[in-house]
Amino acid sequence: MKRDRERKKEAKASISSSSLASGKGKDLHQPLPDSGGMDELLEVLGYKVRSTDMADVAQKLEQLEMVMGEDGIFQLSDTVHYNPSDLSGWVQSMLSELNNNASDLSPSTNFDIVLPGESSSTTMIDFSNNKEIDGQQQGSKLYDDDPYDLRAIAGGAIYGTTTDESPVPRNGIKRIKSAVAGSEAVAAPPESPRPVVLVDSQEAGIRLVHTLMACAEAVQQDNMKLADALVKHVGLLAASQAGAMGKVATYFAGALAQRIYKIYPQDGLETSCWEILQMHFYESCPYLKFAHFTANQAILEAFAGATRVHVIDFSLNQGMQWPALMQALALRTDGPPAFRLTGIGPPQPDNTDALQQVGWKLAQLADTIGVEFEFRGFVANSLADIDAAMLDIRPSEVEVVAVNSVFELHRLLARPGAVEKVLNSINAMKPKIVTLVEQESNHNGAVFLDRFNEALHYYSTMFDSLESSALTQPTSQDLVMSEVYLGRQICNVVACEGTDRVERHETLSQWRTRMNSAGFDPVHLGSNAFKQASMLLALFAGGDGYRVEENDGCLMLGWHTRPLIATSAWKPGGMET
Amino acid sequence: MVLIHENEDQVFHNDDDDDNDNGRFCINDNLDLLIEVLQRVDGRSLGSAACVCRQWCSIVRNDSLWEHLCFRHVSPPPVGVRPVVSALGGYRRLYMVCVRPVLSRLKRRRIGGGGGESEVVRRVWNQHEVELSLSLFCVEYYERLLVGGGRGAAAAGDSPASSLKFLCKPVNV
Repeated sequence: MKRDRERKKEAKASISSSSLASGKGKDLHQPLPDSGGMDELLEVLGYKVRSTDMADVAQKLEQLEMVMGEDGIFQLSDTVHYNPSDLSGWVQSMLSELNNNASDLSPSTNFDIVLPGESSSTTMIDFSNNKEIDGQQQGSKLYDDDPYDLRAIAGGAIYGTTTDESPVPRNGIKRIKSAVAGSEAVAAPPESPRPVVLVDSQEAGIRLVHTLMACAEAVQQDNMKLADALVKHVGLLAASQAGAMGKVATYFAGALAQRIYKIYPQDGLETSCWEILQMHFYESCPYLKFAHFTANQAILEAFAGATRVHVIDFSLNQGMQWPALMQALALRTDGPPAFRLTGIGPPQPDNTDALQQVGWKLAQLADTIGVEFEFRGFVANSLADIDAAMLDIRPSEVEVVAVNSVFELHRLLARPGAVEKVLNSINAMKPKIVTLVEQESNHNGAVFLDRFNEALHYYSTMFDSLESSALTQPTSQDLVMSEVYLGRQICNVVACEGTDRVERHETLSQWRTRMNSAGFDPVHLGSNAFKQASMLLALFAGGDGYRVEENDGCLMLGWHTRPLIATSAWKPGGMET
Repeated sequence: MVLIHENEDQVFHNDDDDDNDNGRFCINDNLDLLIEVLQRVDGRSLGSAACVCRQWCSIVRNDSLWEHLCFRHVSPPPVGVRPVVSALGGYRRLYMVCVRPVLSRLKRRRIGGGGGESEVVRRVWNQHEVELSLSLFCVEYYERLLVGGGRGAAAAGDSPASSLKFLCKPVNV
């Protein structure tokens, strides 16, 4: 029943919004070619509504939905409501029924809504941004002690970034459905500006974000009942929001739900699925390619003049980074060096030796292009389990070593002391260069809410960029898989804690501090890397949005103004280049 | 009137015997000239040339023509590239899979308008574009290895592997 109403409401809303593209504050409904003044579309469904009444009925339906809230249906007594096909009258009688019950509602129900009783038939809910909202305080008396009053929570999470023309906090929440809408209602005189029934998707998006943030704040304050209600609401809102925003919100809502209900994702499927998902992510957007190409450029320059080279890759996956490096080495003016690759990877659930498979393929490639190749794979649950001695590093007169970590080092932050141990091991390997690629965002703050907000901004931007490149992608499967890949990260950041939370991204400046204190000096990525990266991005269809930035010798790839990943290069301190 | 009559005679004459040295020249007799010409045309024309007849097709399939096309404006072509490119699938494939899309995309970026195939050819490569194309080409070969399993990369056909799909236009021309 509720769904029916929602569908009708949406149908009406879409009729209203599609019939007029320009601003708010007008009566937007164009009457359809009618039969006796009745709206034709609804008539097909069996409801008789006058076209002229459409706006009014739509609003009343919305009010009704608000009033009924999540368990509102139980608030109705057993009176009979006449003739549902006369939609207008039926809704009106429902409303008055519920209004009569409203004052009896106990604070234990989730949301107490009170509509201004005497003006219920002419209540207009104005959506326009600039309209001053008359502080109709009739409902306020119920809210002062109400633990579920959202206004009390709103605080910084909702109002932090928006500027409101009125100091009254209520205005900041355009409309959070299951809450204080009653007090937003304007008891406007009949001559007032006509009702606006637009469902503005931009505003719906803002509403969505606000609800998400309110939910996160509820979780932060351990108010699980409220968080539970809000998260369900977000799910509804997200489902009706098209585009990247809706997808991001769905993932975040799912992650929040997992956190609230304490259902943590199983680890079993992680590794094998992860690699497949990462392949799709590789194909659909330039982030990984950027990471590989810029890191390769740094490694190539460090390897200049060497006859034997050794690369240690902290997360081999499918080895997609190395063909390009091998090809560049093969075409070196003084001929290719002997190339040795050590790949580290997680254990596979079915105990297959995935690393060896990748090594074999790389060997085939190396054979094709004429590069002497040697491969060794190490299976490890965590990088901290590996130390330099195991890797059989040959003396530096014999071979030049490079260490490469793409999106891997941040996982060590889950265990205290692990990252320092690994950085010491790296030092012991005596590399000529260490390339580090990490996400450019702080998802490792101590406060959950801060992490949540950071992650929300970060992944919204990422999804936006995916969305734009999707317009020219031949396969949408890549896009979907990439979103799932990112969705897993979101889930980890939001829902997990302790050693399970491995997606502990940190910003470039934080990594810089860490590397400096571990005794590494920065190596500037040259202009070649920058040019190659810019060119690579120009190839991507959504290339207008991607930006390469140089940040004190490091390269950052971002979407419009927001940097998303950063590549940096390091060498052990005190080493001559 | 007389003149026209003479021309008609000549026309008839030429149709009768192709090989006669009547002042009429047939390119198929002078393949070295044909190759010289083909070394200067753009990729699209090379492709069309392959459809003319079997003889032309076999000439066009010669990789060195495509090598000329790829490196026409980069002088000198980098040393040692040829064996690598041949091993990875050849210059024709390099052109089709990497060079052409890369150049047309980059040209479009810079100028902002769609140029024709001839625009693409007249454009001068620079070193970085060469390197980038070769890298992408190598990645593509590797991906076909990954996908193709034991069968090897050659069996995978002419369509580029998925990592280069971002270079493809949605509608195949």
